[in-house]
Amino acid sequence: MIEITIDDRKLSVEKGITILEAARRNGIKIPNLCFDKRLRPYGGCRMCVVEIEGGRKLASACGHPAREGMVIKTNSPRVRRVRQSVLEFLLVHHPLDCPECDKAGECALQDLVFEYGVPETRFTGERKHAQPDVRGPLIELISNRCILCAKCVRICSQYQGRGALGLIGRGFPTVVQPAFGEVLECDYCGQCIDICPTGALISKPYKYKARPWFLEEKENICSFCGVGCTLTLGIREGRILRSKGREGAGINDGNLCGRGRFGFDYIYSENRLRTPLIKEGDEFRDASWEEALTYVARSLSSIRDAHGPNSIGAIGSPRCTVEDNYMLAKFMRAGLGSGNIASSEAFGYAGALRAFSLSFGIGSNPADLASPLGRDVILVLESDPTITHPVFGLNILRAKREGSRLLVADYRETKLTRHSNTWLQLRPGTLVALLNGMMNVIMDRGLFDRDRVSGIRGFSSLEAVVKEYTPAMVSEITGLTGEAVTDAAVTFANAPRRLVIMPLAVSENNKGPGSALAAANLLILLGEEPSSLQVPAEYCNTYGMLEAGIMPRGGGMDVFDMLYKPGHLRALYIMGEDPLVSMPDSRKIKNTLRSLDFLVVQDIVMTEAAELANVVLPASSWGEKEGHFINAGGLRQRIRKVVEATGKSQPDWQILRNLGLAMGINLGAKSFQDITKEADDFIAGGRREAEGAPRPAFHPVAYEPEEPCDSEFTYTLVTRDVLQHSGNMSTRSEALKLVQAEAFLEINEKDAERHAISDESHIKITSRRGAVYLRAKVTDAVPEGVVSTPVHFPSGGINELTHFSGNTCSRLDAVKIERVK
Amino acid sequence: MEKVLLKNIDNPNSADIGEYRKAGGYRSLAKALQMQPADIVEEVKKSGIRGRGGAGFPTAMKWNFAMADPKFPKYLICNADEGEPGTFKDRPILEKNPHLLIEGMVISGYALGAEYGYIYLRGEYPAAKDILEGAIEQAYKENFLGDDILGKGVRFRLSVHQGAGAYICGEETALIESIEGKKGQPRTKPPFPVNVGAWSMPTIVNNVETLSNIPYIIEIGGEAYSAIGSSDCPGPKLYCVSGFVENPGVYELPMGTSLRDIIYKHAGGIKDNGKLKAVIPGGISTPVLPADAIDCAMDFVAMPKAGSMLGSGAVIVMDESVCMVRVTYRAMKFFEHESCGKCTPCREGTDWLRKILERIEHGKGREGDINLLSDVAGVMSGRTFCPLGDGAAGVVTGMIKHFRSEFEEHIRDKQCKFRN
Ligand SMILES: Cc1cc2nc3c(=O)[nH]c(=O)nc-3n(C[C@H](O)[C@H](O)[C@H](O)COP(=O)(O)O)c2cc1C
Ligand code: SF4
Ligand code: SF4
Ligand code: SF4
Ligand code: SF4
Ligand code: FES
Repeated sequence: MIEITIDDRKLSVEKGITILEAARRNGIKIPNLCFDKRLRPYGGCRMCVVEIEGGRKLASACGHPAREGMVIKTNSPRVRRVRQSVLEFLLVHHPLDCPECDKAGECALQDLVFEYGVPETRFTGERKHAQPDVRGPLIELISNRCILCAKCVRICSQYQGRGALGLIGRGFPTVVQPAFGEVLECDYCGQCIDICPTGALISKPYKYKARPWFLEEKENICSFCGVGCTLTLGIREGRILRSKGREGAGINDGNLCGRGRFGFDYIYSENRLRTPLIKEGDEFRDASWEEALTYVARSLSSIRDAHGPNSIGAIGSPRCTVEDNYMLAKFMRAGLGSGNIASSEAFGYAGALRAFSLSFGIGSNPADLASPLGRDVILVLESDPTITHPVFGLNILRAKREGSRLLVADYRETKLTRHSNTWLQLRPGTLVALLNGMMNVIMDRGLFDRDRVSGIRGFSSLEAVVKEYTPAMVSEITGLTGEAVTDAAVTFANAPRRLVIMPLAVSENNKGPGSALAAANLLILLGEEPSSLQVPAEYCNTYGMLEAGIMPRGGGMDVFDMLYKPGHLRALYIMGEDPLVSMPDSRKIKNTLRSLDFLVVQDIVMTEAAELANVVLPASSWGEKEGHFINAGGLRQRIRKVVEATGKSQPDWQILRNLGLAMGINLGAKSFQDITKEADDFIAGGRREAEGAPRPAFHPVAYEPEEPCDSEFTYTLVTRDVLQHSGNMSTRSEALKLVQAEAFLEINEKDAERHAISDESHIKITSRRGAVYLRAKVTDAVPEGVVSTPVHFPSGGINELTHFSGNTCSRLDAVKIERVK
Repeated sequence: MEKVLLKNIDNPNSADIGEYRKAGGYRSLAKALQMQPADIVEEVKKSGIRGRGGAGFPTAMKWNFAMADPKFPKYLICNADEGEPGTFKDRPILEKNPHLLIEGMVISGYALGAEYGYIYLRGEYPAAKDILEGAIEQAYKENFLGDDILGKGVRFRLSVHQGAGAYICGEETALIESIEGKKGQPRTKPPFPVNVGAWSMPTIVNNVETLSNIPYIIEIGGEAYSAIGSSDCPGPKLYCVSGFVENPGVYELPMGTSLRDIIYKHAGGIKDNGKLKAVIPGGISTPVLPADAIDCAMDFVAMPKAGSMLGSGAVIVMDESVCMVRVTYRAMKFFEHESCGKCTPCREGTDWLRKILERIEHGKGREGDINLLSDVAGVMSGRTFCPLGDGAAGVVTGMIKHFRSEFEEHIRDKQCKFRN
């Protein structure tokens, strides 16, 4: 610590920080236009000048280190004069079109000019000519308002790791423009919009929507991924008009991805359900709540009475609140007496939970969003967290910048592989072989503490399994060189602080619970704790849904039995999920749903599954109801009702309570407070039970080849997530659809050439289960022989192709592709 | 004085390694490799040499900062950007005596523990590029460069990186950005390049002329070297004289030679018996001196006292036929064009100043324009991010200080009297 004096205040501050940082931390404001705590000091705007006693020149506070004994004046007349002159310079060519600028009222330039007052400019002559504007689907750059602080350029390259914007030209004619090409092609995170001190960069969906002073700002937790960012929502006349990050708010501390920023408008989707629907013949008709609930109650009661409670199943939702899910589980268990409660997470995070339990003997392993920071080596396994968990991904990029070595094993090129030190480009689905190979090298070279580890349960069987995975053999399977495998093993084993990251997304068919087990084996072998295995839960409330009891317990059926084996169930209650879009092999599921006596779907929009339902119940969406989400880190966060519910929709928990009453079952929960408290106690109880020291054990996993390609089905299909979407809910967002509206098939350039396919060609893609039609995206991001597609889009119907098998490592599909003329 | 930097320069094959060796070249390297790195630095310290790139920073001090940093690898960069208008002093070394520079860099690299060197070469010197690359190839062949230099187990690898014609890339941190493949803009200091330079590693940036002095320092020893020229910044110095003199060119003279002697004794005085009006003594970024102020020693210490700076030692001589408003306008066009655009005062100020100067020079100046020039230059001065903007402001301030009446005449007469 050092002692400095700022504006007559004696302060003790950390050594090495800048004057601006020292002032900020002590609540002293120094005006600035090019500073952001996430970025390296730039020193361009010169607004932050301060006077240092004894110094000849004024110093710019954002880049100048505070030194012992410094006496600093932040607001002397001399300083104010300089700031005034800087503002005068900036205004010389500014269009001053504040009346039509979205930023007016919250513009840093405007505020500073107001504060400092600028004498009438002495500039005469021609102003800078109109600069070309930049128009992307969601972001617009009005160049004449730009003051060239370069914050947008820097946040994009330094922090977002994208580099989509550049300062083009030099000196006075410099402009901010897309770094490559004419259109802005980027992550659409919108970080550049929030960071822009002026109205130069604006959100297109929000353009001309409201004056900021008429907006009511309310905070809410994002409803997409498991990071659980805090959004600052701007609301006018009962409608959410924008969403932005705010420094200091929430775990994201001002960062957001494009889904959180632009995707909220799915709640205004045209096909929102407004009233209960009852199917008559092949058509739905509107019904009252009373009629619909009475009908559901009567149907479920008679099925239970005739076939027993086990003939009824339910599917919960990682999108719904803790309260909603808790209520569904309670309705099933306490109300109907059935343990058949499952979710799509059987294909995702539930696999991770199984691995945590088997490998470490623990019931939960919440992710730590800060975990990448300060690690020597970070190994990311067949995943791109910058897509699945974008704001978490930012910490991986930050760690890399701060010196961590980043190893990424992935079949495809991603933003993360581009930022990695080493990209292990393995064949899709061969991760387990790579991990076994790394363990082989580590054992072979004695890079682990044998004395400590050999006593752990399962060690000898691990040794036996891993022995076969020599670098040469692993090279055969994965397509990596033997040296690459060895190097990765040695680098990882020799690092003092290591981390493995591997989200298990429901939509990804290249990983499975076996992959998580293999990763756990590697970590246990090296004496690591569970916290070194980061598997962030996928959606906003995946973690909370599971904690609230949405999993088959006490002999209940899981989704595999419920949905893939017609005949096991007579009735199914689906809440906030569309298995026909999100789960593999949708044809089988469709058959099962058709075979049911009774199907209830409760959702915010009409879904594919809802089309098959007997009754459809309209639920209030995020933003229209109170509740809690638990993020991937196990953090329980309040979500708020910020706008009125759509139509007659009701919160899910309330529907379930009322349904209970209609069946003569009292599920309690007179009020929201009741249900919150009850759910919270339940979760706390679960957490207490799960407490206890980890008991590690090895569960060796052998590599199992995926569905084989043959002379007919020559390509491997990998399903994945895209950045602009999360599950299929985001596909209802008009804003996000501007970037990505429909499914596409990525195909390598060489393969495309072979099939005479070019961008946008129509392609028929066939697996052993079905066929779908997609547009092609020719790219070198996927290797030859592999095609890849996102599953988010209901219209894509990708899951008609996919399958589900006993293979715990991957469920890749063999497909053939044809160009449709 | 014996020629050190321009030695052998009249030999048409001076750039050839054979000729260079015949004249005693690479002996200092052999000698240096017998010494401990720290002893080399000690000799450089004793020599008192200051950097020839413009700022006159003591070379040994810079080296010591870099050596005190425990990070490796370290990089040695030769600044051969030579962008300051009026400056062409490094060019004869690059084109005629490249091995002197290479030898200097290998010795410096050995002393500093840097195994990789770059020569950042001005984009407009294509001939120098070929010559340097040819010389580097020869040096590799004869084992003066490589992984086991002269069998001593010393490694130094050297390559040429060509700039793309931006003046700002002569500024060392912008130069480093450029070498890293980024847009040339200066970086915030601290951290200084000696700690966090190219690819975040300790990096020593020295001018061509600075590095070319190193073999000689090793040859005759720091103490003997310190006896040459001015006592507080010794050594031989290249002065490049241009403009209205009889014999423009590069002159190697002891540091501290008087400006008057440079112009009249060495460069042959004013062309066509003209009358001296003004001198820009150290490249366009240094303030102008009027004819009666040239009795000053051209070195880093004396020149600031005389109201200007040594800068790059580029002496631009102007006679009575030269319009000072036009010179200022021309200079500002240069600065406006070369401003990198990073900081507000320089980006906006150079543009504004140029516009005012343009109208004055074209007879459209207004009442109050001179004050406006002074004001704009005044608010730029000391507030720009790097010295480029400062230099631009200094040019205007200096010109108005010494030649205010010429500006006034332009405005009053609504024309430039030198134009007819
Ligand atoms: C705008 C600007 C341009 C510069 N151009 C050059 C140049 O062309 N060559 C050069 O050697 N130094 C140039 N410098 C100085 C360098 O930043 C640096 O100080 C110098 O290369 C250090 O070498 P030295 O210590 O040997 O003088 C420039 C500085 C500024 C601010
Ligand atoms: S939206 Fe994100 S990725 Fe796109 S330019 Fe802005 S900061 Fe870069
Ligand atoms: S667009 Fe905004 S953030 Fe980007 S440089 Fe201009 S003013 Fe700064
Ligand atoms: S989707 Fe995830 S990372 Fe993006 S804003 Fe929402 S919570 Fe944050
Ligand atoms: S003074 Fe500012 S704008 Fe000018 S060259 Fe330096 S950094 Fe760039
Ligand atoms: S905030 Fe310091 S120069 Fe812009």
